[in-house]
Amino acid sequence: MGLLDKLAGWLGLKKKDVNVLCLGLDNSGKTSIINQLKPSNAQAQDIVPTIGFNIEKFKTSSLSFTVFDMSGQGRYRNLWEHYYKEGQAIIFVIDSSDKLRMVVAKEELDTLLNHPDIKHRRIPILFFANKMDLRDALSSVKVSQLLCLENIKDKPWHICASNAVQGEGLQEGVDWLQDQIKTMRT
Amino acid sequence: MIKKFDKKDEEAGSGSNPFQHLEKSAVLQEARIFNETPINPRRCLHILTKIIYLLNQGEHFGTTEATEAFFAMTRLFQSNDQTLRRMCYLTIKEMANISEDVIIVTSSLTKDMTGKEDVYRGPAIRALCRITDTTMLQAIERYMKQAIVDKVPSVSSSALVSSLHMVKMSYDVVKRWVNEAQEAASSDNIMVQYHALGLLYHLRKNDRLAVSKMLNKFTKSGLKSPFAYCMLIRIASKLLEETEGGHDSPLFDFIESCLRNKHEMVVYEAASAIVHMPNCTARELAPAVSVLQLFCSSPKAALRYAAVRTLNKVAMKHPSAVTACNLDLENLITDSNRSIATLAITTLLKTGSESSVDRLMKQISSFVSEISDEFKVVVVQAISALCQKYPRKHSVMMNFLSNMLRDDGGFEYKRAIVDCIISIIEDNPESKETGLAHLCEFIEDCEHTVLATKILHLLGKEGPRTPSPSKYIRFIFNRVVLESEAVRAAAVSALAKFGAQNDDLLPSVLVLMQRCMMDSDDEVRDRATFYMNVLQQKQKALNAAYIFNGLSVSIPGLEKSLHQYTLEPSEKPFDMKTVPLATAPITEQKTEIAPVATSKLPEKLAPSRQDIYQEQLAAIPEFQALGPLFKSSEPVQLTEAETEYVVRCIKHTFVGHMVFQFDCTNTLNDQLLQRVLVQMEPSEAYEVVQHVAAQSLPYSQPGSCYTLVRLPEDDPTAVSCTFSCAMKYLVRDCDPNTGEPDDDGYDDEYVLEDLEVTVADHIQKVLKPNFSAAWEEVGDEFEKEETFALASVRTLDEAVGNIISFLGMQPCERSDKVPENKNSHILFLAGVFRGGHDVLVRARLALADGVTMQVTVRSVDENVVDVILASVG
Repeated sequence: MGLLDKLAGWLGLKKKDVNVLCLGLDNSGKTSIINQLKPSNAQAQDIVPTIGFNIEKFKTSSLSFTVFDMSGQGRYRNLWEHYYKEGQAIIFVIDSSDKLRMVVAKEELDTLLNHPDIKHRRIPILFFANKMDLRDALSSVKVSQLLCLENIKDKPWHICASNAVQGEGLQEGVDWLQDQIKTMRT
Repeated sequence: MIKKFDKKDEEAGSGSNPFQHLEKSAVLQEARIFNETPINPRRCLHILTKIIYLLNQGEHFGTTEATEAFFAMTRLFQSNDQTLRRMCYLTIKEMANISEDVIIVTSSLTKDMTGKEDVYRGPAIRALCRITDTTMLQAIERYMKQAIVDKVPSVSSSALVSSLHMVKMSYDVVKRWVNEAQEAASSDNIMVQYHALGLLYHLRKNDRLAVSKMLNKFTKSGLKSPFAYCMLIRIASKLLEETEGGHDSPLFDFIESCLRNKHEMVVYEAASAIVHMPNCTARELAPAVSVLQLFCSSPKAALRYAAVRTLNKVAMKHPSAVTACNLDLENLITDSNRSIATLAITTLLKTGSESSVDRLMKQISSFVSEISDEFKVVVVQAISALCQKYPRKHSVMMNFLSNMLRDDGGFEYKRAIVDCIISIIEDNPESKETGLAHLCEFIEDCEHTVLATKILHLLGKEGPRTPSPSKYIRFIFNRVVLESEAVRAAAVSALAKFGAQNDDLLPSVLVLMQRCMMDSDDEVRDRATFYMNVLQQKQKALNAAYIFNGLSVSIPGLEKSLHQYTLEPSEKPFDMKTVPLATAPITEQKTEIAPVATSKLPEKLAPSRQDIYQEQLAAIPEFQALGPLFKSSEPVQLTEAETEYVVRCIKHTFVGHMVFQFDCTNTLNDQLLQRVLVQMEPSEAYEVVQHVAAQSLPYSQPGSCYTLVRLPEDDPTAVSCTFSCAMKYLVRDCDPNTGEPDDDGYDDEYVLEDLEVTVADHIQKVLKPNFSAAWEEVGDEFEKEETFALASVRTLDEAVGNIISFLGMQPCERSDKVPENKNSHILFLAGVFRGGHDVLVRARLALADGVTMQVTVRSVDENVVDVILASVG
């Protein structure tokens, strides 16, 4: 860390770094959401299924996010846990039009919440009920019911409907996350 | 920051290795800082270096700890530090095989390889291909295709080389990238073009037609890259060799045209390719040699070295072609680079005339002490070749060799010199005394047991027959006093030979033997006692059997027979004749042909080919009663090379029987043969006793069937016979792909070529190191003599060759080599006839119009003498 960096830190000019995990089943739209949040000049044109994970960065008004965008495919989900420790927040993405696999999503969420690295930490979880533009998409309320989100007592959480392709609903979620992280810090 | 780090590293490195005492567990502990935020690139870089260092030192990482470190490392992808990222690529490649779930970095690497940073793209491709397996390859196929045709050379090269690595793993997928590789092959970048050509070749190398098409295309269109040209030359010369294409083929024209290329690299490659081609004529060599000649005067040392080294090789096969370069080579003798100078001199020694030998030897001895052992061996080899060419120069060479022998040097070097001196002695009777004297001097101070025993053996063999044998006794007895056990034992054996051959030395030898009997080593004492007792008998026959000629049985065979004998208690004494004989001492002949081919001789106790057969045959119940195997012949082909079934026969001779082993191979993939046996019709009184069939013979898996034949007992002279053979079997058609046979088959028959049994099949070669002693030992009780005229033979060499191959006996006393310009010659042959009777043949040959031959045969059995004479006549 150079002297300049430190100086910038004292003056509050430098944004704080925060690590976020982006989880969810395959084809739920994790990479698309992260892509949409990046500055428009850094956005990728075509999104392909992630193998393993990607590290992406984007900034909001007061924070600098480093996102571990994990692959959602069944055989890679067991690799998520390697990264639980450093996650200071979690973004969990659900395909709200995929009613069939809602139970799978719930199962993965429960495993996540019961993991020793997560269980006793009070970290904020942001849920995106993605693909709200599709006709047969469930509402965010319905999704939260199906996932029994009301049972999460020890962590702050928030759910919002989103459309990653157009970028709708994303800002609302990220603003909430930023507030939560700030309050946790202070 | 990076620079500072490097500097520091360098300073530390100047004293000692900063990574010397690394502990794996400590390093892995340190690796935890990968998990910290924010990342400190400098420290992480240092730890990654340590991990890679440990991996390269061969430190073993357990799967769990490796995986943990690997996943910690993946977090470093957060950092945008270029050096750190590239270090990550290296770590991924190193850990690809020891960590689990390495595919976790696939997306990150794909992102880097398609990203904007060119520095990342090449390395990312290489790392990605390292962690990708066949199932995952499809997922990245699209990116690979793009990368191959990328306009950045480093990216394209990386993709091509990685593809080449993946050809081994998933040929079919990579094959689909041929079009992209084709496009890359027309790139302007020399490396890309070279790599593309490499990939294209490896994709097609199994298809000769495709390779030749590709060559055609590129030779016509021309290439930019000299590397690619070199590769093309190599492919072309390989193809030429495979197709045995003549020198009028367009490929050869292409290689020759490369001699005029503007890049030196290409020119050299072409010249070297032409020079290494088998059966190359002088006319074709000439242009290649002349470009090499040009290189000899190049200011670049590498080029001079390459040229002179290649010329040195050419000189072995075509000395006349290199003579043209003699002048240039002369200039190189004084080259400041000793390797070049040595090669130049040894080349000149091969090509130069007899008159220049003295001068060259003087030149080389001026700096021989400065060159490495490896090159000294080259010099010795050149001298040995020279001695064969100019036998009259042996005194110069011998002097030189003895000087070299006195210098320091490793085992290989000394062995080369000793072998060379021995070969000179054997070729040149005149040089024998000087040579032996030099060798005697050498063993006075020789630290290599193997060489000392070898020389002592030679002294024992040659010494007694020199004019003054007494002078060697001192050298030999000195060894008994001074050396280790093995050398002492060898010295005792050598002494005994002097005593046996020279009656006037016998009393002194006996006294020396007496002293050896007090030796502290068992082996030495045993030998001395044994020889003492034999010598005291003063009988020529005993001397011949136990001192000169030793045992001629195969050692593993003897061991087995003795073991068998101890298992089955019997009243009869052990019979040496039941032990299979050692198959002819081929090693001795080998050393004669290539005296300094310092190849390793076969291990002493490895079972010989015959011992293997003995074991195989003993495993078949039908043949267990036949007794020990006497001789196995070389395989005889009974079919043409490219027929439906390939059959070759090995004749095994026993005391009263012969077993014919037929090795059959079925080359039809739509047939399964069953119950295969070979029907034999003898022309003489031989009796076919039994067939042992090969139960099943699937496609391309060789199988053996056997036929047992009893030899006629009432007529021992009937040794030759012709058999007409036919293979009989049951054919079952089958599916070529699965090998699944039909339910029913039909009987069929296949006629083979006739098989001959000759007198040679009844005689085993035995080497008698001292023939005259053996001759006396057998005695003249059953001696017979007859004279023949060999009308069809023109030269003595031819006659000697014919007799040896006809009788199948071992030439002794180097009598198989006919001295030049002589009209008469005596050939000594030794062997053992079936049943264990020694047989010796002395053939006096005289060259007149044809060759007249007087054959004298001695044996301990009268029948054998008759058999030999009858078969010769």
